Amino acid sequence: MHKQNMILRHKLFDRICHWFVVATGLVTFLTGFAFFFPSFQWLGSIAGTPQMARFVHPIAGLMMCLPLMVMLVRYYHHNKWEKNDLTWMLAIKDVMFENEDKIPAIGHYNPGQKVLFRTFVVTSIALTITGIMMWQPYFAPYFEASAIQWAILIHAICAVIMLIFVIVHFWMATWVEGSVAGMLYGYVSRAWCKKHHPNMLNDPELKTNKQEKH
Amino acid sequence: MSAQDIILSSGTSELTPAAQVRRKLSKVAKLFDATKCNGCKACQVSCSEWNDLRAPVGSFQGSYQNPMDLSSECWTLMKYQEVEENNKLNWRFAHSACMHCDDPACLTACSTKGAIVQRANGVVDFDSDKCTGCGYCVSACPFDVPRLDPIDQKAYKCTMCSDRIQVGQEPACVKSCITGALKYGTREDMLFIADLRIKELRKRGYVNAGLYNPEGVGGTGMIMILHDINQPQNYGLPADPKTSVPIKLWQDVVKPLGAAGIIATVAVACLHRITVGRNLVEEDEPAQFDHTHSDKSDKE
Ligand code: SF4
Ligand code: SF4
Repeated sequence: MHKQNMILRHKLFDRICHWFVVATGLVTFLTGFAFFFPSFQWLGSIAGTPQMARFVHPIAGLMMCLPLMVMLVRYYHHNKWEKNDLTWMLAIKDVMFENEDKIPAIGHYNPGQKVLFRTFVVTSIALTITGIMMWQPYFAPYFEASAIQWAILIHAICAVIMLIFVIVHFWMATWVEGSVAGMLYGYVSRAWCKKHHPNMLNDPELKTNKQEKH
Repeated sequence: MSAQDIILSSGTSELTPAAQVRRKLSKVAKLFDATKCNGCKACQVSCSEWNDLRAPVGSFQGSYQNPMDLSSECWTLMKYQEVEENNKLNWRFAHSACMHCDDPACLTACSTKGAIVQRANGVVDFDSDKCTGCGYCVSACPFDVPRLDPIDQKAYKCTMCSDRIQVGQEPACVKSCITGALKYGTREDMLFIADLRIKELRKRGYVNAGLYNPEGVGGTGMIMILHDINQPQNYGLPADPKTSVPIKLWQDVVKPLGAAGIIATVAVACLHRITVGRNLVEEDEPAQFDHTHSDKSDKE
């Protein structure tokens, strides 16, 4: 395998963003879990004390959501719905069981990833808005009590949805070996593209390591 | 009062209940008779004295009420509601403090274990040491009672002077009430006294006199005799207080469903991993590996 022929899948800026979101997201989710399920209050201890977790959670949350939204904007063009996507969705069983000959060819992202993308867009916007509304002592005093109650509910629902999709994201990324390396170092092999995202190879803007360097 | 006297605690569920009452205690209550109150503020002052609270001196806002609102430094406030009846201005004095709900919305909303407890005698109390300052109780309370302190960011409210009542005394506000508008005792006794008083008031022409003891929160530990029970808003009281829909949905539906969803997703992921296994790519240039192989076989 020649490194020069590797294909650039994630630019450096996006990679930094991604891992920054992972780090802050970990803090946000672990502290948030501590408030959501009181039996898991000990998880909040990653911030020291429950009081500290309460203080850190909204800040870590903003540090997760804002770069996440920057990233989502940067990946927007890869996530438009394409013509093969519906057939791919219908063949989801073959995807899961690796019946590769039956999977329709797709581009940079598969429709599953596009659904994930959309969910992250919606939930991160909702989490940011509702999170600010319930943020004591800075912003909450400006809102009506009933508005805050709904904000708390929507915040919780979106957090659960996001967490479930994060689990799906993590599971798929570790299942399809090479994806994590792609997100870490930016490059994937030609064979990997051919197998998982064949239409990506037709992309006129495709860059390989060799072309980048020269 | 010991930990065994706690019958409800925030941040627990049926699976992890609070310490259960071992001694049967009768529920206590404060009875406020608005028809006897003359707005002297003795209760407000004695509350601040006993609990050593010093609300900042406010500015004149066109009302005898002072301070203008409850705060972490003001747990009992005489509200001077101005009501116009038959072209006449009337004051409706309202002794506003925690209502000590039987089914407290603040406790339901609080996710911090033990930050809000209900004692066997019905008193709802905050353990400020455990409070994280999330303010969920502040937005949940239908009576708008608990407040966060600007300095330590913890929630505070009337404790019904738990420290006094556990040694057999009545709350400070009751002790200092000069007109007998405030009474304290077992809930049963207070309901009985209220009943007699309301009958008397009705006979004297207050046909709408009645007891404010709202069902929506399971009844309260502070019950109030009002001139007109159909007009609780004249006293700044909500007509139908209860734990709001979003808070119930959040605690009773979203949490268990969320837990189920998260566990199910993780379970499916694990199952998929051990059944379908790794999704490896066969690289089309395995030359290097072949090379090392032949090297090895040479040596063998
Ligand atoms: S009045 Fe408010 S603070 Fe007091 S027990 Fe009821 S819900 Fe809690
Ligand atoms: S502010 Fe304190 S008492 Fe109120 S809900 Fe939050 S942790 Fe509980």
